[in-house]
Amino acid sequence: MTALRTTLTVNGRPYDLDVEPRRTLADALREDCGLTGTHLGCEHGVCGACTVLVDGQAVRSCLLFAVQCTDAEIRTVEGLADGAEHPLQTAFSAEHALQCGFCTPGFLMLAVGALEKDPGVVRDAERLRELLTSNLCRCTGYEAIRRAVVAAAGDRPAGED
Amino acid sequence: MTIGARLRRREDHRLVRGAGCYVGDLRVAGCLDAVFVRSDLAHGDLRQVDLEAARATPGVVAAWSSADLPFLPDTPPMMDPESVRGRPWPPLATDRVRYVGQPVAVVVGDDRYVAEDGRDAARVRIDALPVLLDPAEAADSPVRLFAGAGNVASEKTFGEPIDEAVWQQATVVVEATYRQQLLAHTYLETRAILVRPEPGGGLTVWVSHQAPHRLRRDLAGGFGLREENVRVIVPDVGGAFGGKSETWPEYLAVVAAARRLNRPVRWLEDRAEALTGPPHGRGQNQRVRLAADADGRMLAYELHIDADVGGYPHTGAFVPMATSMMATGAYTIPQVSVRSRAVVTNTAPTSPYRGAGRPEAASAIERTVDLLAHRLGLDPAEVRRRNFIGPDAFPYDTPTGFTYDSGDYAAALDVALREVDYSGWRSEQARRRREGGVPLGIGLCTYVERSGAGEEFGAVEACPDGTFVALSGCCSTGQGHETSFPQVVADVLGIEPERVRLVERDTAVVPSGIGSFASRSMQTGGAALHRAAGKLIEAARQRMAETCAVPVGEVTYDAGVLAAAGRSMTLAELAGTGQLRADNTFAPPEGFPFGAYAAVVEVEPELGEVTVLRLVAVDDYGVVVNPLIVDGQGYGSTVQGLGQALYEDVRYDPDGRPLTRSLLDYLIPTLSEVPALRFAETRTPNPNTPLGAKGAGEAGCIGAPPAIVNAVADALALDARDALQMPLTPYTCWSAAR
Repeated sequence: MTALRTTLTVNGRPYDLDVEPRRTLADALREDCGLTGTHLGCEHGVCGACTVLVDGQAVRSCLLFAVQCTDAEIRTVEGLADGAEHPLQTAFSAEHALQCGFCTPGFLMLAVGALEKDPGVVRDAERLRELLTSNLCRCTGYEAIRRAVVAAAGDRPAGED
Repeated sequence: MTIGARLRRREDHRLVRGAGCYVGDLRVAGCLDAVFVRSDLAHGDLRQVDLEAARATPGVVAAWSSADLPFLPDTPPMMDPESVRGRPWPPLATDRVRYVGQPVAVVVGDDRYVAEDGRDAARVRIDALPVLLDPAEAADSPVRLFAGAGNVASEKTFGEPIDEAVWQQATVVVEATYRQQLLAHTYLETRAILVRPEPGGGLTVWVSHQAPHRLRRDLAGGFGLREENVRVIVPDVGGAFGGKSETWPEYLAVVAAARRLNRPVRWLEDRAEALTGPPHGRGQNQRVRLAADADGRMLAYELHIDADVGGYPHTGAFVPMATSMMATGAYTIPQVSVRSRAVVTNTAPTSPYRGAGRPEAASAIERTVDLLAHRLGLDPAEVRRRNFIGPDAFPYDTPTGFTYDSGDYAAALDVALREVDYSGWRSEQARRRREGGVPLGIGLCTYVERSGAGEEFGAVEACPDGTFVALSGCCSTGQGHETSFPQVVADVLGIEPERVRLVERDTAVVPSGIGSFASRSMQTGGAALHRAAGKLIEAARQRMAETCAVPVGEVTYDAGVLAAAGRSMTLAELAGTGQLRADNTFAPPEGFPFGAYAAVVEVEPELGEVTVLRLVAVDDYGVVVNPLIVDGQGYGSTVQGLGQALYEDVRYDPDGRPLTRSLLDYLIPTLSEVPALRFAETRTPNPNTPLGAKGAGEAGCIGAPPAIVNAVADALALDARDALQMPLTPYTCWSAAR
């Protein structure tokens, strides 16, 4: 299959790649850009472990082709900490919102995308439920994840009730 | 005291940054990807495997069937070698396939895309044979999965046969049948292995696993290597739940491919493969009889189990034995008789899944106790109290061969009843039954489980720089050992836990080990480190005594500092005079954590939909080292238990083709399905180790399902409950109510 020359902009940095049209964004990020923080849990768009932001929108990178993202700004978990941890990262640890950690990058990117658009999402229980029900976690039972997102939005300190 | 401290996890720092390293994240130069050509029939004679077109596919490096790899060893049994006699499991099928998904050929390519191109070009011809899907049916079927061996791979009895007169003379006898459906483990990281051949014929194996030393033994044994020439490294693991303890056929094929090509080869399972299995968990048909007097005091209990262990018994045949031995749960029952059969069928092979036999045992007895209470018109909490093993009866020998170490089952039940507001909900239930309203039910489960088994290795070394290294044979797959094990060591040494670094999951560094399953890590591995730290202090005192030329009894130790004869030295300084390390292998007896769960549900009468209004979990894990981590285990396992109770179900069509191949077919709970959960605890230390910890990690899978099922049966006031089988889908509940 013919490879296409494409440039992906990930976390503000350009990556010049030769990729087949069928290559998913997730595989391009992981295998070609070396950004393995984006995890593949199901490769059919259900679990959300591979969630990244494309132009600010949370997407499942296993359901997009890399060549579809040529002109987009892509953000992955590796870009989240700016020296210091992002408040979501701190809150996930404080609330014990991760055990095996495999789903964590997807949840973080899902939440960061939503909070940047509207931090008020955490004050509407129904909207928050709708948001976080999009991703799967097999370890935590979710409540700690919900608490962490609320804490990161600044509504209460992480690790406290 | 650092034992009991709610410390944040060290693991999180890398994991929240996406800087963890799972097998699929490794970058090993020249690594190829393996994929498998699999059987699409559940049972058949393998006639032809044509790999011409696969080999001609661009990017494909090799494609092999079993005929091309004559030195491929058979898949070893995990336990119970007797059950696999006459039932070999070749990693690539030779002449017969026995489940959909069984590997028939391996295709190796430059990447997964081209390897899958090659796989899709392979042509396989299989002549179909009759399919067996139900274990009870398979046990008596003339169709044999293995020529020369019956379909019952293992049959065991526990307790004593019960005289028929007991059943005839008892005031009340309840009977029921239960189905423990097949479940998919659904770790978010699927199985993964990367094998790199080393110069001189050795292997380095990175694998997502729970028991690296056992895998090393199996790979070395299978390929005729010395164990020290096989290095198994377990990097970060994305969940395991019992499905990553095994030596799977695919691992053997990948090792063979890497050796043959003399190149690194990896296999990253995809989700369709993971859901199709193996492994699956549970899968039991159960039949029970329980006799009692008019006061609800139990007289006799009989449990028959037909366990579906799938096409090969290698990884699942021992699980029903665990069920058998836990049959009587928290109760004194004068006469007990258990028969369990592990039966091969044409489903995918089963393995332990979180709880591994104990959820099946608790479900059977706890559902039956509630049925008894219903039959007698007694409160199910009261019937339990009348039959509990009393707090002064320990150590208690069960009729099935276990010795329960300690417990206070009534105390846990009392906490659960208070936390759930039992009397309040009973009043509300009575009001609704009187005045009308959505049917409401309250269900209980008072479980005992077994945790830990066998020995574990632990060592502690003092380093001259003031830090300490703890080595453990356990293998964290998300449980936070890097945080909790140093807490144990630091507590004994009287130092800050930050100074202790854990090393595990690498057979080249940790000399021996068993691994992490059966809730054994803290109970067994933590206790081994506890003892190793104590031995380190003793070794240091000895050396200090020699240095100061005083009797060892005159050397004092406090918080990392030794003192004698007016001198003092830190452990670090003492380590500077020569290696200061204590190793030990510790094999405490099994532990028996227990607890009580209470569920309150509504069942919508027209649609059959179950709404869990409250779920209270009271667990007793003995001494808890890190409550943050243990709370997380309780929460997570309870939600997995909720999944078994209400949603999860591996389904097959009549031809044995799996119907649950995607996460849209196999439903695990999302946040939306999680009800209001409340957790409480009692604390009865393990009397058999100085640490006092019992296993924590599987309780919710054991306690939650029967509590929920009992609540639904109570809501519907069912006299006969055989129609109410998990998962309690709306249709199941709707049907059961009619």
